[in-house]
Amino acid sequence: MSEAAFIQIQDLRKTFVMGKQKVHALAGIDLNILRGSFTVIMGPSGSGKSTLLYLLGGLDRATSGAIHVDDLALEKMDENDLGIFRRKKVGFIFQSFNLISSMTAFQNVTFPMRFAGIKGAERQKRAAILLSQVGLANRAHHRPTELSGGQQQRVAIARALVNNPPLILADEPTGNLDTTSGYSIMKLLSALNKEGRTIVVVTHDLRMRQFASEMIYLLDGLVVSEAEYEAAASFELQEKEVEEAI
Amino acid sequence: MRFWDLFSLIIENLNRRKGRVALTAIGVVIGTAAVVLLVSLAIGLQKSATSNLWGINDLSRIEVYPNYGEAMMVEAKIGGGGGGGGGGTVSNQKLLTTSALADIALIPGVQKVIPRDYLMGSAVMKAGTLEAWTNIMGIAGSDLDDMGYLSGQGTLELRKGTAIVGSWVVNNFYDPKIRPGQEPPVPPELMDQRVKLVLSKWTNDGQEVKKTITLQIVGVLQEMRNEADGSVFVTMEDLTTWNEWFNNGKRINRNKDGYNNVIVRAESPEVVVDITNQINELGFMAYSPQSTVEGINSFFTILQIIFGGIGAIALLVAAIGIANTMTMAILERTREIGLMKAIGATNKDVLTIFLGEAAGIGLLGGLGGVLFGWGGSKILNVFAMQYLASQAQQGMLGSGLSAVTPTWLLLFAIIFATMVGFLSGLYPALRAATLEPVMALKYE
Repeated sequence: MSEAAFIQIQDLRKTFVMGKQKVHALAGIDLNILRGSFTVIMGPSGSGKSTLLYLLGGLDRATSGAIHVDDLALEKMDENDLGIFRRKKVGFIFQSFNLISSMTAFQNVTFPMRFAGIKGAERQKRAAILLSQVGLANRAHHRPTELSGGQQQRVAIARALVNNPPLILADEPTGNLDTTSGYSIMKLLSALNKEGRTIVVVTHDLRMRQFASEMIYLLDGLVVSEAEYEAAASFELQEKEVEEAI
Repeated sequence: MRFWDLFSLIIENLNRRKGRVALTAIGVVIGTAAVVLLVSLAIGLQKSATSNLWGINDLSRIEVYPNYGEAMMVEAKIGGGGGGGGGGTVSNQKLLTTSALADIALIPGVQKVIPRDYLMGSAVMKAGTLEAWTNIMGIAGSDLDDMGYLSGQGTLELRKGTAIVGSWVVNNFYDPKIRPGQEPPVPPELMDQRVKLVLSKWTNDGQEVKKTITLQIVGVLQEMRNEADGSVFVTMEDLTTWNEWFNNGKRINRNKDGYNNVIVRAESPEVVVDITNQINELGFMAYSPQSTVEGINSFFTILQIIFGGIGAIALLVAAIGIANTMTMAILERTREIGLMKAIGATNKDVLTIFLGEAAGIGLLGGLGGVLFGWGGSKILNVFAMQYLASQAQQGMLGSGLSAVTPTWLLLFAIIFATMVGFLSGLYPALRAATLEPVMALKYE
């Protein structure tokens, strides 16, 4: 490794308490993610991949272990510092877009800059550039309900980029989209990666592999090899066939 | 987050739910209007009560009478007469002598000490064919401005041979030759006129002796709503001369006999009660309208608090409405709160936004309430005036009851309503600020 990893994760654990039961969503993960990489974290539902993503973005706190992002130790930050960390370092993309329905595409894109204290003129300029970058210059004043799923996700991507974060975290970004829209969103993320941003995408869609520079497979809260993952996936497939037969 | 961004975001958020914000604000409108209207009414009642008190328009004034001892106290209080050459037989008497006046002048807060004296006999004023019985008063210092009197016509400066009359004196003139059934005479114009003052006394053998003096009227006072309205003021020198004539030429010694009455003016109404107490401790009899007014004021302050409290109950109900609306808003916008945190809002940002929205509802309600409360008090005044007019037609004296809405009350009501909104929003906003982002984002 020529340089220290952009993200370093050591023995990361996250335990949820459900009633009297403890669920180990992450059971001790060690991981390095390089700056400028396009990392795809693959895993079935319940494997802990979304939990890992939220921990990386400082939206949640680990039960134990350490996360360093760009040399910042997230476990040592208070709530306020985490807010500023998310503002400056991270752009989130969600499966359900999470656009504010009362705001236009343009207003949704400018929204994060209000918390960052960026002035009006600069906000307008950045939002206009980003919306045209994602191919939505002509839909800037439409509300989310007037846009297709793919267009909404493009607005969300533009919103994730406005504060120019070095890290983009995407949680099943194509989960709610048809194949064509999903593909174009992945192409867009790939283009952002080529600009030098570090991208981490969480998905269970095997087709995402073609865009990845790094693949991480998760099963039951642990990082596994590709072979182990394939075996589990085929087992899962068999199970599905059995269920369908019944 | 910059202030303007915060402000515009709050406005946008309130604008998103206009109907609900308006309904919640109506609660605050009712509460604030009730506070404004009821407190205005209490202030109006207080104003009307104090303005109807005779002679209470000048609150920095203290009247001081000599203490003639136990036996003569009652007489002294009523008339203030019989002083001048009064005997010195009672041991505990305190007369308003020149040295006593100097003592009073030394009390801190005393601005002026003005001796007054009354005419010690009967006098009739004649203007042309009309006559009037008058209350003649001599003022030392010759300047009625010192007494706090306001000029209606002419001057407030007295000189030898001149007089200034109170506003009602003109109405006292009558025609001595008037017959039953005849119209009463038109009141004479007194300003700049020369009038005659006829003094009369009886000799020991029962013979009436008269002395006629010509006086130039140099001023007419404004209505003062105190004893000045019915009085004719002359210089102390003139009055002393006439009193000595009544006293068969015996000289009046102010060092020994003192004055009938002294007016003390304080630097401000606040020190009046204190000065009054100190003069009483010197042994004189001091009376200030301020002490009466203070008693009345404390009663009306309690009334204002009670009235305001009744309005505040309505505001309390409105506060619960705001808390409810905000709690509902936070439930509905849980995902949005999660998103705000994901895109970089700190807990403090979220707290400020929701507190601002709650305070905004309070402010809107406060503005509406002030408008309705103020308008309501105006409408109340119109009805009160109509009622009073009908009472006056029936020959009853109206008390001038009305609601008075001072600016401070309006400002206070707006600030108070905003505070109510702010405090009601505290719990919901704290809940919003401390939501876990991941949980909030997953909320359905």
